Amino acid sequence: MDELLQFVITGITVGTVYALIALGFVLVWKSSGVANLALGQLVLISSWFAYGMLVQLGLPAWFGLIIVIVLSLMLGWIIERFVLRPLIAQPILSLITVTLGLAFFLEGLVSFTWPKSVAALPHILPDQVIHIGTAVVSMEYLLAAAISLILFVLLSLYFKYNKMGIAMRATADDQLAVQACGIPVTKIFSRSWMFACVLAAIGGILMSSIGGITYGLVHTGLKAFSVVILGGLDSFLGAMVAGPIIGLAENVGGGYLTPLTWPGVKDVIPFIIIIIVMFIKPYGLFGEERIERI
Amino acid sequence: MDLPAGVRNFSYAKDMAIFRTKTHWAMLLLLFVVLFTLPLYLGNHWLNVANFVGITIIAVTGLNILTGYCGQLSIGHAGFIAVGAYTSAVLTNRFELPFLVGLICAGLLAGFVGMLFGIPSVRVKGFYLAISTIAAQIIIIWVINHWTNITGGFNGIAVPEPVIAGITFDTQGEFFYLIVAITILVIFFAKNLARTRPGRAFIAIRDNDLAAEVMGINLFRYKLLAFFIGCFLAGIAGSLMAHLMGFLSAENFHITDSILYIGMLIIGGMGTTVGPIFGVIFIKLLDKGISFLSPTLEGAFNLPAGFTTGIGPMVFGLVIILFLIIEPRGLAHRWQLFKASYRLWPFSY
Repeated sequence: MDELLQFVITGITVGTVYALIALGFVLVWKSSGVANLALGQLVLISSWFAYGMLVQLGLPAWFGLIIVIVLSLMLGWIIERFVLRPLIAQPILSLITVTLGLAFFLEGLVSFTWPKSVAALPHILPDQVIHIGTAVVSMEYLLAAAISLILFVLLSLYFKYNKMGIAMRATADDQLAVQACGIPVTKIFSRSWMFACVLAAIGGILMSSIGGITYGLVHTGLKAFSVVILGGLDSFLGAMVAGPIIGLAENVGGGYLTPLTWPGVKDVIPFIIIIIVMFIKPYGLFGEERIERI
Repeated sequence: MDLPAGVRNFSYAKDMAIFRTKTHWAMLLLLFVVLFTLPLYLGNHWLNVANFVGITIIAVTGLNILTGYCGQLSIGHAGFIAVGAYTSAVLTNRFELPFLVGLICAGLLAGFVGMLFGIPSVRVKGFYLAISTIAAQIIIIWVINHWTNITGGFNGIAVPEPVIAGITFDTQGEFFYLIVAITILVIFFAKNLARTRPGRAFIAIRDNDLAAEVMGINLFRYKLLAFFIGCFLAGIAGSLMAHLMGFLSAENFHITDSILYIGMLIIGGMGTTVGPIFGVIFIKLLDKGISFLSPTLEGAFNLPAGFTTGIGPMVFGLVIILFLIIEPRGLAHRWQLFKASYRLWPFSY
């Protein structure tokens, strides 16, 4: 039973970070109806931004991270302005595939700018070891989960009380009505992309300061999709609940199934969950089932 | 706009024919002559490129039926190609079955795997389906990498040369004839599929699946049929690819390849027969051009070391984005415009 507790704690903490990345997806989906498949690449590129600032330029952590956040805000603005805005009101197929093109481009940009494929970030969070019961957990994991939770709460408050946040929710509900009220919809789209990029950046930095920067970060982004699918595409709460579930399934399942099946089963479990959810409850735990009319 | 002025038809069959004028037939004959004498002019390197172009055309035609006609986005096409490739490799290598059996089984198995992962498409669409095909891709590649005693795992698997009726296909030139023949069959099949009942059902489902269902189209049946046909062609392409390369490892079927297939389809033009041909040739030539130019450029301008590896994906991504923004109907649409204007020339009013 010793290992179970270990798996549970690691799973929940890692899953919370997945949930944070997934929130970025839900944000864009809710406000503009664009499915952002470049999520993994956004995580990857912002981790490399952090590497560039902290290691290559040698900036102090707090200052470097602020610059990374600013850079990812700019990245979000650029993506929305030059890639998504020309495609407003295009069919969903174009909106999905354009983010695939974006994913390709960002991946090329990463290997263009940072030719080495693996790098280590300095530990931003304290990494002393804590004993919880029989489990041994690094402080980093717990802090990463705490940061994700705090961001989730802040984001929820923003959407509940801030004027812009309310406008964003309204846009998700009915774009035409919002335009009639005089709210600039394009501004809301670009705001949501900027938020998504920042969330991907924070998630990426948290993941890569623990595990280093590898191409595997793209797969972290892909795992965030399973969080989104399980939680429901348009639900913040869903993402926050589904994140730890995916993390748990991945770690507990990986821990106990690896001897029974093949190594690496841990990385496939989130995708098997996607397929199962598709069969049983395609709109997720908290997702809104859309009823269509002709 | 498809025909020069003054062409009249006196029967339905003539009206529906693909090749309608003497010029059409002459052009077709010319194309065949050029195609079948190509090994005489091209060296081994370019023949290899032409072979891969042919194989990719088969794969993208499959994707076109699934995505372009039926509107079901699949980002797992490389995974389905891998299923075909490994089926053929395992059957011909480990069980020493003839090549043709391997080829057909590759298509069938890939088709059935595609249908399995296509089942969610009955209830969900758009992004949901895209994600479940990504999941399919990752699960398939994981199984291939770890089912070591069948697929060879990370060590890969050797694939014997194909033999049909005593003829061994072991040079690029001989392969070329095999691939050209199959590619022509596939294109002919795809062109005609679009004009049959299932083809029209696919188009109805793409345009509005709810309306299609109300009109009496069985969504479950036709969506799964689209998945089966699309993935069947992917399996055929995979089998040919396996035999052409002679050695398989799962690295050839990465998720970026799946994205690139979609890119080819977009650049060529979705929902047209010529689209996949244009798209594949465009991307393959672009790829060749980049890999030819980038080391020279890197040396000439003293560029950073990542230039050669990074420039390819950057250009492909940019081309996909630009095509979606500027010409979402792809090169096939431009080709139509060109044909129309050339027919009307010089009196274009």
